[in-house]
Amino acid sequence: MRLAKPVHLLFAAATAATLVLTSCGSDSGSGSDAGGSGAGSGKPKAGGSLTYALDVEPTCFDLQVNQQGITGDIERGVVDSLVTVDAKGVFHPWLATSWEVASDLKTYTFKLREGVTFTDGTPFDAAAVKANFDRIVDKKTKSQYAATLLGPYTGTDVVDAHTVKVNFSKPFAPFLQGASTPNLGFYSTRSLSRGPDALCAGGSAIVGTGPFVFSSYTKGQSVVLTKNPKYNWAPQQAAHTGAAYLDKVTFRFLTEDTVRVGAVTSGQVDVATSIPPSDTKTVEADKGLQIRKVEDAGGAYNVYLNTAHGPLDDVRVRRAIQLGADVDQAVKTVYFGQYARAWSPLTPATPSYDKTLTNAIAFDPTAAGKLLDEAGWTGRDGQGYRTKDGKRLTVNWPWNPPHTREQREVVAQAIQADLKKIGVEVTRPALDIGAYVSLALNGNYDLYDFSWTRFEPDILRGFFNSASLPATGGQNAANLKDPQVDTWTEAGAATLDRAKRDDLYGKVQHRVVVDDAVVLPIYIPTKLVAIATDVSGLTVDPNGKPLLFDTWRS
Amino acid sequence: MTATPVSSTPRPDGSAGPARARVLRGVAAAVGRRVAAAAAVMLGAATTAFIALHLLPGDPVAIILGPSTMASPEVRAQIRLDLGLDQPLIMQYLRYLGRLLQGDLGDSYQLQQPVSALIGDQLRPTVELALAAIVVAVVLAVASAVATAGRRPGLRALANLWELVAVSTPSFWLGILLLTAFSFRVELFPVAGADGFSALVLPALTLGLPVAGILGQVLREGLETALEQPFATTARARGLSQTAVRLRHALRHAAVPLVTLSGWLTGTLLGGAVLVEKVFARPGIGALTLQAVSSRDMPVVMGVVLLSALVFVVISTAVDLLYLAIDPRLRAEGGGRGAQPDQNHEEPAPEMNKAGMKGAQA
Repeated sequence: MRLAKPVHLLFAAATAATLVLTSCGSDSGSGSDAGGSGAGSGKPKAGGSLTYALDVEPTCFDLQVNQQGITGDIERGVVDSLVTVDAKGVFHPWLATSWEVASDLKTYTFKLREGVTFTDGTPFDAAAVKANFDRIVDKKTKSQYAATLLGPYTGTDVVDAHTVKVNFSKPFAPFLQGASTPNLGFYSTRSLSRGPDALCAGGSAIVGTGPFVFSSYTKGQSVVLTKNPKYNWAPQQAAHTGAAYLDKVTFRFLTEDTVRVGAVTSGQVDVATSIPPSDTKTVEADKGLQIRKVEDAGGAYNVYLNTAHGPLDDVRVRRAIQLGADVDQAVKTVYFGQYARAWSPLTPATPSYDKTLTNAIAFDPTAAGKLLDEAGWTGRDGQGYRTKDGKRLTVNWPWNPPHTREQREVVAQAIQADLKKIGVEVTRPALDIGAYVSLALNGNYDLYDFSWTRFEPDILRGFFNSASLPATGGQNAANLKDPQVDTWTEAGAATLDRAKRDDLYGKVQHRVVVDDAVVLPIYIPTKLVAIATDVSGLTVDPNGKPLLFDTWRS
Repeated sequence: MTATPVSSTPRPDGSAGPARARVLRGVAAAVGRRVAAAAAVMLGAATTAFIALHLLPGDPVAIILGPSTMASPEVRAQIRLDLGLDQPLIMQYLRYLGRLLQGDLGDSYQLQQPVSALIGDQLRPTVELALAAIVVAVVLAVASAVATAGRRPGLRALANLWELVAVSTPSFWLGILLLTAFSFRVELFPVAGADGFSALVLPALTLGLPVAGILGQVLREGLETALEQPFATTARARGLSQTAVRLRHALRHAAVPLVTLSGWLTGTLLGGAVLVEKVFARPGIGALTLQAVSSRDMPVVMGVVLLSALVFVVISTAVDLLYLAIDPRLRAEGGGRGAQPDQNHEEPAPEMNKAGMKGAQA
């Protein structure tokens, strides 16, 4: 569903195989992969097919328009990108063999790989890059996500057939990460001319240069990809060269958790994403399956504390809420120990994650009570809630049931119960999508929660920069206006120096959690993927996209 | 239409005689009335849906984009412009009606496809499912009711029990139970999809069982009433077997409420299909509706509303026609010749012979 927060939809996240993938397969034996890279024993062999169950069906297959991560999951094998990124955040050549970044970070010049063709026969060249990027930013395209990856884009110059210069009006460091995602992958110019409806409808209108061809889409049912036999331009990080091993990949849309789990345990599909934590035991008990745990990169599932509203305009009250909720216990109980508790607004898989924040806001109801006393909430009413000047200490945390997944409402109930113990009333009005969205826009809430997947710390600029307030369509749900945070997040977007970025984004994370107390990190969104043991070499890139190129059946 | 047999005096066959032209005119008028009524129903449905959707709070563009989005203000403005949402409501309504008259249902906000094409593509699986479900329901209901009506109390209680369980089981849960049993454990049927017959079995059972429960109860009630009527006694006196009496005579009487109810339930199957299609991951109108309603995709919701209005109109017409086939007394009343004074008449009228029934008169 499009309306779900983009994050929701982003499948399996980060990965990079070795770093984040934790294999906790059925039990020791049964062919679970060695290095965690998903490579099984034996020699890869070509042939065979794979059925892959997804929990969300895209509303639109146009990567340049749609914001749903699931679209990228499906089309990662269909389109290639200029660069690829490894788990450490280092970029490597793909369709671009090399690139140069101007010192002001306003121009990026790419040398394109020669001999690459789209699966409709048209060559991949500088004109194709320009046509794709220009279409993304064209306001008629109504791009909801890809355009943000191009940020302050001003245009692409075709230097020669295989050289392009991409220009920005401001220094724009996050561009290379954007360029590594499928959303900035390339459709053939011929398919771009078929109009937005055709691309949105998926099927053979979607033409890329990737190892797979988008063969067909049956609404409500499945997407079929078939092998592109001419493919010969995999990035160096891939385990092999030439064409993909699998002849055919079928994505099935099984949105019901029980059904998806049943389908994979009964062997009707080979891979199933988003296994509910409560079902991991069942899957682990199955000798023919292993569970892969993939922690998302990007924004953790966080609760944002609205500084512009009600009692939370007092930093002491915000801090009391951070300390008064036993998040550890709630996360452990609700997610059966499968999801880790978050300490920073970013997840550990994200570059520039600040690990010093661990335990920075540990559960301490006594300290929380003291802070509330200091803030003047010393009275008590009949129900035990704190009052000040006869007014009860109430925080409003609205939610929209259809777009609440992963039992987040249960976590919220636990937090509600914890905060009641320190005298804070949490109200949880369930709103329909229309009311929820307008309330988000006008800032009429105290607490607001969401997660956000992207392998790039620049998302902190969206979450906390004062130029990104919800009233203007931004994600700064806390309505934070902290000049320090503004300076740091803008400086981070203007440098590619890793050490500088770590320092800047580390300061931002510390500031918003400890000093400003505008965010209560809850858990690290984690995809539990059930994979049949005869499927090998299935990995997930740091952007959270499954890589089917090296996947083979034994 | 009521279940109580109410009939007019038997009269000469209406299709004979010089009045053929008049009858044809009468038929044309009746058809015209039907079409006009259908159009009125559809307009009413479209208007109600339009008003209801616009009364709901929230900016449509913000809803289309969802709660957390990075879409720029330019993108928002473009969406508003493209969808005509910048126009006054009354203009939007009139433009909608204007397009509707040309057979254009508009384009989906979310899927960016023409609504008519979306509905066209998704209609077949849902129709298959609904038809299969109604067949399952009617066959089970008839079998269960005919076999148990007026029979031993134990048997009756058993039938009553399964019907009650079937009616009370949420189809969502029933679907998952059936899947667990016949797809996950015993791998008889595929878990999901709409390819071929085997993928239709479990969804049709899930959708049909609760309906069978309701129909079975109603039909047994009707059968038992009919079996107590004098004509049943007469038929038995003529030496017909129990089964023949039930099938040829009593069932026909009891079928009228069954048809009424089946017609109505077939219409509601569209609603039931939402759950069943979700559980079995089948494509179809139900799945489309769910997606459209939860993301408030107005053109699709409107299209589905119109479709269901149309389905109800078609079904109620079909049901009316079926009454004529089942109950000949109604045929006598029709044809624009004016109603005859009703008499209480317990047994079917002589025209029943035309419907292939024999010896029903008392």
